[in-house]
Amino acid sequence: MQTNAAALNSQVNSKKRNSSSLTDQLRSYLRHPGSGILAFLTGLAAVLTFAVLIFLVGYILIKGIPYLTPELFSFEYNSENVSLMPSLINTFIMTVLTLVIAAPIGIFAAIYLVEYAQKGNRLVKVIRITAETLSGIPSIVFGLFGMLFFVTALQWGMSLMAGICTLVIMVLPLIMRTSEEALKAVPDSYREASFGLGAGKLRTIFTIVLPSAVPGILAGIILAIGRIIGETAALLYTSGTVAQVPNLMGSGRTLALHMYVLSSEGLHMNQASATAVVILVFVLVINWLSGKAAKRIAKG
Amino acid sequence: MKKKIVGILAAAVIGTTAFATVASAASGTINVISREDGSGTRGAFIELFGIQEEKDGEKIDMTTVDASITNSTSVMMTTVAGDENAIGYISLGSLNDTVKAVKIDGAEATAENVANDTYKVSRPFNIVTGEKVSEAAQDFVNYIMSEEGQQIVEDNGYIKADAEAKPYEAADVEGKVVVAGSSSISPVMEKLKEAYEAVNKNVTVEVQQSDSTTGVTSAAEGICDIGMASRELKDEETEMNLTATVIAKDGIAVVVNNENEVEDLTSDQVKAIFTGETTEWEDLAE
Amino acid sequence: MNKIKERGMKIVFMVAACASVLAVFLICLFLFASGIPAIGKIGPLEFLFGTEWRPSNDMYGIFPMIVASIYVTGGAILVGVPVALLTSVFMARYCPKKIYRPLKSGIELMAGVPSIVYGFFGLVVMVPMIRETFGGTGTSWLAASLLLGIMILPTIIGPTESALRSVPESYYEGSLALGATKERSIFRVMLPAAKSGILAAVVLGIGRAIGETMAVIMVAGNQARMPQGILKGLRTMTANIVTEMGYATGMHREALIATGVVLFVFILIINLSLSLLNRRAENAN
Repeated sequence: MQTNAAALNSQVNSKKRNSSSLTDQLRSYLRHPGSGILAFLTGLAAVLTFAVLIFLVGYILIKGIPYLTPELFSFEYNSENVSLMPSLINTFIMTVLTLVIAAPIGIFAAIYLVEYAQKGNRLVKVIRITAETLSGIPSIVFGLFGMLFFVTALQWGMSLMAGICTLVIMVLPLIMRTSEEALKAVPDSYREASFGLGAGKLRTIFTIVLPSAVPGILAGIILAIGRIIGETAALLYTSGTVAQVPNLMGSGRTLALHMYVLSSEGLHMNQASATAVVILVFVLVINWLSGKAAKRIAKG
Repeated sequence: MKKKIVGILAAAVIGTTAFATVASAASGTINVISREDGSGTRGAFIELFGIQEEKDGEKIDMTTVDASITNSTSVMMTTVAGDENAIGYISLGSLNDTVKAVKIDGAEATAENVANDTYKVSRPFNIVTGEKVSEAAQDFVNYIMSEEGQQIVEDNGYIKADAEAKPYEAADVEGKVVVAGSSSISPVMEKLKEAYEAVNKNVTVEVQQSDSTTGVTSAAEGICDIGMASRELKDEETEMNLTATVIAKDGIAVVVNNENEVEDLTSDQVKAIFTGETTEWEDLAE
Repeated sequence: MNKIKERGMKIVFMVAACASVLAVFLICLFLFASGIPAIGKIGPLEFLFGTEWRPSNDMYGIFPMIVASIYVTGGAILVGVPVALLTSVFMARYCPKKIYRPLKSGIELMAGVPSIVYGFFGLVVMVPMIRETFGGTGTSWLAASLLLGIMILPTIIGPTESALRSVPESYYEGSLALGATKERSIFRVMLPAAKSGILAAVVLGIGRAIGETMAVIMVAGNQARMPQGILKGLRTMTANIVTEMGYATGMHREALIATGVVLFVFILIINLSLSLLNRRAENAN
């Protein structure tokens, strides 16, 4: 009985404390109206962002879910049943392969910029400028370049490989820039401690610096995944639009291209809407998976 | 937690439908929507309605600069379906009940009327082949131009290029045929491909959907065996040693919003609208 | 042995860093090789400052598109950057722990929505809204800027948030200890400390806005004339390339690739001036 009362008492107390801190906060905003306005604006911006997000997702779900039939997932595509299975598999292949190539290059480049390059080095300047330039190039220009270079000049034809290489160039600056920021954010004391313990530079980088930078690097990779999955303009001219699961030198479409192709003539708008739902789920799953992977890396 | 998600979804549903229903209120200004410069649909459209005028030996496209431009049939249809005051034009094969096709000079936009020349707004579907044509590709072309192939063209809402085509004779060929180009032709090409692969199992056909120019250049550069172009070939292209074959004709429908009361337009009215001479629905000259 | 490994890896890192240089070099080479001759034939001044774009009559002036690209991107920055920065502050500093995870995945999801989906969203939801509220056709500068403003949100929020989080906590606490309010500490101490990361994020956002095509062509109207106002349609450089590339041949096609070259040079200028600004700010510190 007594303990109960004590518990109750403490609960009441904590509630009082909470509400008093809230009123304190409000009172402080009255004293500093500038701060109050900023806090309000911050909240407003967040509400706006998430309202738009909910609206967008709601729109996609409402438009797409009614048309999400099991036939859409059959393995064969034909003009009667515009199955999205081949494109789903292609999207997966392209995302994984693009990251397998682009992530190491991007992260290594960031390591060079942060850990090795001297400040004011001319090469570093050139690399920075080119990376920023790359990140600003519109995807349609990547598409044109991919067609001129990989498809025509290298004679690869419209193929997954040409698409992957184009995507690699496209997401490279994204991964590079975010990894660089993540590496920079690792406190120097970590490195010094590691050197102090007698570890070499390479060892320090791979066992101390990289693991602590994983969340930041991951943010970049997730952005990259988003771009890969959502890309149409660059792939239209490089990977082509055949609805099949090809080998690497054959042509195949990704989900976004599938959606583009279905909607462009207005003949399969409903299936295109359903595809949008699948893309959404796909992005969710991949983000979740990469989150898991990052946790494991950070731990190990 | 679950309740929250349901609540959020419900809010989204209400929000989206609320916005979907406010689309009404007519102000009377005609919102003209056109295809992009160089598009096969636009080319045929401006020529047949006299929107293209000849000055000093040069053909000038008189489409009003106020027209919204889109490069996709579905954007055209979605825009017209959502805007009571809009007018645009699309391929007959893509027409569905989200928009309304108006009669031109009294003739309804149907495949039959295009075939018997009462409805005059149409364009050709071309396929082009380079200098060297593989046996398999040639056989596929033969199939398209055969009685069976032409029947498929007609079944899909397009107009036969050759009304008296001969039946297809199966040839003993094998290999892979890559067909690339116009997104307008791709849907019917896929049907043709499926039917052909059913007859000739040793040949696989790949259909690459992109656009007319890519189709023609790909054929010229040997990236594909057959290019698809939903417009007449330009002079530069015919110089590239390409052979073009018309495989079908496609009508072009002038479309308005379903709520729009206009059912019938004369060619002169369409011309006045698209050149920007008439800007209000009320001003349409009878 | 170890030394060789160290040195070897350093070279590997350097080669990786040079990959972007190689890529830009190749892109420059191929783009310029096919675009510059066209500009030469049209005449650089006529091409850049001509206001008439009538390819079927051999008139290739892209000035309206240049102006439109600047307008649309400017509008998108105005809409998107403040909201994105404030949202990142919210995510990094205000967000209750319980809802952080779902909100974070929400933003990540937003980055993965394909631009055509945004385009249809804009066409079906935003364009009618603008048409009902302000009149006109709805496909307009306003619609394009709003839509792009939304699209660049996740691009900016993600990196900005991680930049804010990487500012040492001691900065924040120190400022609080000096008697500053929470907001003052965040906006006057944390934000400036995270400047380089934030600027990089904004540049990424601008890049996405100026280069976006598939969504913009659905809502911008794409009239090839000088922009006439916020409720009238306009055509950006990217829209010019994508809408007409499909059917263009010969000179028309070359002029479109040349538009790509101009766009490319544009982005170069933006990046250079931003990195100059950045350096000046760093020197001032």
